[in-house]
Amino acid sequence: MLRLYRGLLYLYPSLYRREYADEMISVFRDAHDDLSAARVTDRISFRIREILGLLAGALRERVRFVSGRSPLIAFRRFDMRPEFRFPRSTVFLMSIIFAGVILAMEKANLIQVKYAAGVGSIWPSLPWFLGFTLLFTWAAALVVWGILFALGRTGTHRLENIESSPSSAE
Amino acid sequence: MESFPLSEPVLLVLLSLAEQPRHGYSILKDVERMSGGRVKLSTGTLYGALRRLLEEAWIERVEEDESPRDRRPYRLTSRGRRNLQLEVERMKQLTKLAALRVARKEV
Repeated sequence: MLRLYRGLLYLYPSLYRREYADEMISVFRDAHDDLSAARVTDRISFRIREILGLLAGALRERVRFVSGRSPLIAFRRFDMRPEFRFPRSTVFLMSIIFAGVILAMEKANLIQVKYAAGVGSIWPSLPWFLGFTLLFTWAAALVVWGILFALGRTGTHRLENIESSPSSAE
Repeated sequence: MESFPLSEPVLLVLLSLAEQPRHGYSILKDVERMSGGRVKLSTGTLYGALRRLLEEAWIERVEEDESPRDRRPYRLTSRGRRNLQLEVERMKQLTKLAALRVARKEV
């Protein structure tokens, strides 16, 4: 789990990583050790929370990095800020991104093992290739759908109506 | 970040630091304790909040020679404390108003 955690930290901008990664790993390790005697369900929910927290945090920091300002992104549903809210589809999108990261890491591992052993080809077998292509296409379609859905939820499509409202009033 | 209201996790982080300087893990546990186990922050959420609060100078790092780099404590600045007091005042007024309206409805 610590390896996965370190891997996901690479989703953050390098400046952020340099500043906070050591602390975050240390806190994660302490929290993880704290749960060693806890129930399985608690351990699973802790891992899911950490992974989603990292994905959301990385997204937030990337947005800030690109836009140059701190987005007022809601922390969970009890945030009362009216300016902006993540649509629920974001969780769905983040899950897909997470699945993609896991797949990529798994694939990289596989290639590394093959190289290290010095046997076989690094090219995937046909069933794996077909399966991967199918999964990739499916994920891409879902991402596009998710983006369109998120845009719909933020009301971007209504801007046209606002711009044309004076003429329609006449 | 001077706009109100604050999100609950940010408010709890500030309340945690209002008592004494704390490092990341200590804040995480204190927030969980204060909320009766209801709010469990992930490290991603916690450090996102800490980064924003540092940037807005609501909190600062306590520079201690003996504290290791991965366990640096944070504390509230005077600006952070002032803003926290304002937020608490706002919440008090809101609670008072809510209690009044609910009571009126019950009569």
